Amino acid sequence: MKKILNILVGLLFVSSFIACQPEFSNPINDQTYTSGEADFSNYVAVGNSLTAGYTNGTLYKSAQENSFPSILATQMKLAGGGDFTQPYLEDDTNDVGGMVFGSNVILEPKLIINASQGGPERINKTPTMDVTNIHAGPYNNMGVPGAKIFHLVASGYGNVANLATQQANPYFVRMASAPDNSIIEDVVAKNPTFFTLWIGNNDVLWYATSGGTGVDQNDTGNLDPSTYGPDDITNVNVFGAVYQQLVDALTANGAKGVVATIPDVASVPYFTTVPYNPIPLSDQSQVDALNAAYTQYNGGLQLAVQNNLITQDEADARTISFDLGANALVIEDEYLTDLSALGLPSIRQATADDLVVLPAMSVIGVAPDPNNPQMVYGVTIPLEDKWILSKDEIVTVRTATAGFNQVIQAVAASKNLPVADMAALMEEMKNGLVEEDGSFYTANYFDGSNLDNLVFGLDGVHPTPRGYAIIANKFIDVIEEAYGAKLPKVVPANYPTFDILPSN
Amino acid sequence: MRKLLIALLLFSFGSIYAGGYRVALQGQRMLGMAHAGISVFNNAETTFFNPAGMAFLEGKLNVSFGVSGIMSHVKFQNPEYNWMHETDNPLGTPFYLYATYKATDNINVGLAVYTPFGSSTVWHKWAGSDIVNDISMKVFYIQPSLAYKFSDMFSVSASLIMAYGGVLYNKDVNRYLTGDNGEKTNVQLDSGISGATGYAISLAFKPADNLSFGLNYRSSVTLDAQNGTATFNNVPAFLSNDLKNTNFSAELPMPAELGLGMSFKPMDKLLVAIDYNYTYWSIYKELRIEFDNDLPPSVADKKYKNTNTFRFGAEYQLNDKMFVRAGYYYDQSPVPEGHFSPETPSLDTNNFTFGFGYQMDKWSFDFSLLYLKGKERTDYTFVTGEGPVAHKFGGTYVNNAIIPGIGISYSIK
Repeated sequence: MKKILNILVGLLFVSSFIACQPEFSNPINDQTYTSGEADFSNYVAVGNSLTAGYTNGTLYKSAQENSFPSILATQMKLAGGGDFTQPYLEDDTNDVGGMVFGSNVILEPKLIINASQGGPERINKTPTMDVTNIHAGPYNNMGVPGAKIFHLVASGYGNVANLATQQANPYFVRMASAPDNSIIEDVVAKNPTFFTLWIGNNDVLWYATSGGTGVDQNDTGNLDPSTYGPDDITNVNVFGAVYQQLVDALTANGAKGVVATIPDVASVPYFTTVPYNPIPLSDQSQVDALNAAYTQYNGGLQLAVQNNLITQDEADARTISFDLGANALVIEDEYLTDLSALGLPSIRQATADDLVVLPAMSVIGVAPDPNNPQMVYGVTIPLEDKWILSKDEIVTVRTATAGFNQVIQAVAASKNLPVADMAALMEEMKNGLVEEDGSFYTANYFDGSNLDNLVFGLDGVHPTPRGYAIIANKFIDVIEEAYGAKLPKVVPANYPTFDILPSN
Repeated sequence: MRKLLIALLLFSFGSIYAGGYRVALQGQRMLGMAHAGISVFNNAETTFFNPAGMAFLEGKLNVSFGVSGIMSHVKFQNPEYNWMHETDNPLGTPFYLYATYKATDNINVGLAVYTPFGSSTVWHKWAGSDIVNDISMKVFYIQPSLAYKFSDMFSVSASLIMAYGGVLYNKDVNRYLTGDNGEKTNVQLDSGISGATGYAISLAFKPADNLSFGLNYRSSVTLDAQNGTATFNNVPAFLSNDLKNTNFSAELPMPAELGLGMSFKPMDKLLVAIDYNYTYWSIYKELRIEFDNDLPPSVADKKYKNTNTFRFGAEYQLNDKMFVRAGYYYDQSPVPEGHFSPETPSLDTNNFTFGFGYQMDKWSFDFSLLYLKGKERTDYTFVTGEGPVAHKFGGTYVNNAIIPGIGISYSIK
């Protein structure tokens, strides 16, 4: 019996000896990921809201943690990357973003879906971040939400005293290393070895989101950005001069980096979600009543043609008629010939070439006067210019965007910097992007069937953290190709989108 | 009976990640020689390997009991995403109990209780959590047999198989959904225990003292879990009406197996055995879980292929009490390319076995040691459950296992 016991003990001894871990023929190790010709030890990200991690209508703590530069820096750490600091958001105690100035809410908290209502709305919580709670940088993430290109070189953009005149930015006020330092001065002080530069979206975006109510400073030739209104399009020569200045500053000490193009703003869900023809009519008597309401206007147009005030083509384009089925919105259009002398407003029905902005959802179909339910926005009350990016305004936006992207490509080429084509990527994200693993992502979030696949946030302009993960992967592709680096990708589906709450 | 079933399930069954979820550890004496026992008729283990062989046993009553300890590791990596994970599997302890009784000169009856299928895989907080967090499958067979000896050379046997078993399976609902506590939303599936029946037939042919042949066929058995419970954990409030706990049904197929064996004694003290197993894995086409409420069914394509296993073993008698054994077998994975899933990461394996037997008058003790080494495999599977299209999950897998075992046999002449 003792013999048997001995054998048993021996057997267990041998077992534990052999029971080592299996090994791969080519295991992941210290050599798997490399920086190639680049040096990731001090990566600094320069840009606007897209670099800051802004999503769902604000910048909040968990969103900042998933900003694309933060994702990128995490991957870079496997290839010589150093610590990556981001602007202080510890005072966002409820993770809702927004901002207060004393007791005044100056920036709204994040958008959420209220499942009991259906649509996006601001979360019912008060922001806790105060603009005066300054934690001076510089930081590795120098993305400043709302910054236009010329703001990056503007002195006083971080000075709390300039908030009242809208010459300062509340986010930069909190993070500027000194009140009158410019963003690029702080960036240079950080002495980056590697950078990403993605700037210029706001120089055309705000014109578009305002429904084209601003001024295209390319038409005016105005080269002084201090005189620009917030919704104006930046003059392309201003853009070019500042872009050159930024890239010169970033590369002065030999740092390598990536620059990114500006997406066609008309490709974001803010403009593609609400259709031009959202008015369903199923009752012939309704159709007849609506047509009757515009008989006088349509007749007036023909009168104007007979008097050679407008062409027959314009009259046809302006003629308003309703049918059974889906009908186009009635909209104001400043580009139409002014016939107010005849008592005719500058209105027409929208076409597929017009883009309706996302916030118009809350207006269309609403009767503002409860005593007069017949008067309805978009049907019997024409939608104002600010709700519509008309086809002429779209041309303005696209021309400006193309001009900015030409600058970006040319400056990058002259400095031998790779370009991440975010314009192409965001277009793909809108139409449905298929990742290498087959995962499918889309911007089409209001059809309700595909919560799984969303990459744009509820503000309709900014990606969700899931979208920023896709953007980080794109930067990785470009960095690998340009610098011979090797970095691991992230899985976008592991990243969040937006909050859905049972009630708000 | 129910108490007995529960007692049997206290054994953890373990996985060896070779031929699907087949766990071939059904006799320490045979395992020492590569688990090649279809034509070896020298103790009660033949009740499993080839019940017709009972006719050639010498004792009036033969009993064998054994248990193994499975220590297995699976590693996974994918440099595309810097994924590095390994399983944290509990010790598996599959067992067997066999008894034969010579009723008449020509008729032997036998009873076998054993655990031919099982798996136990635990992945922790890992990249494939929407496929599996952990899974534990336990199946045991109770197999009474009747053998009839036509002559001193030839016998046949027929068996009834009563199979019992079930699965505990936990996976995340998808790659991103979390509860309001920030933890991943997951579903725990408990199939409960179901039973089903099958059969086995076998032939034993011993044309000479030093030469034997055997054939054994075990039918497939499909356990039909009709009343499983699905429990959702960490459900976000807005989905509390959709992801409600419910019942489910699922089918768990156990494949049929055909075995052919030959053994011979080139010299008096040396026994050589060769077995071939053909396992009808093509029965496992998909894992389909149908929920009783409005949730869409969860379907994972499996498309398993039939497999071949070749076993070569030998036993050498040192003296009148001691035997040493060794063997090698090659086990094929039934998993086709593009369906390689981490809940049963079954690789092609090389298997080396060693054994030692100590025989006394009525008692004998057998020790075995199996070392299994999987061939590294880079493969993937498609995962559904997120939107309209499935996504790929894959990487490189490698495994090994070390499995010591002890068996006790008792025989009355």
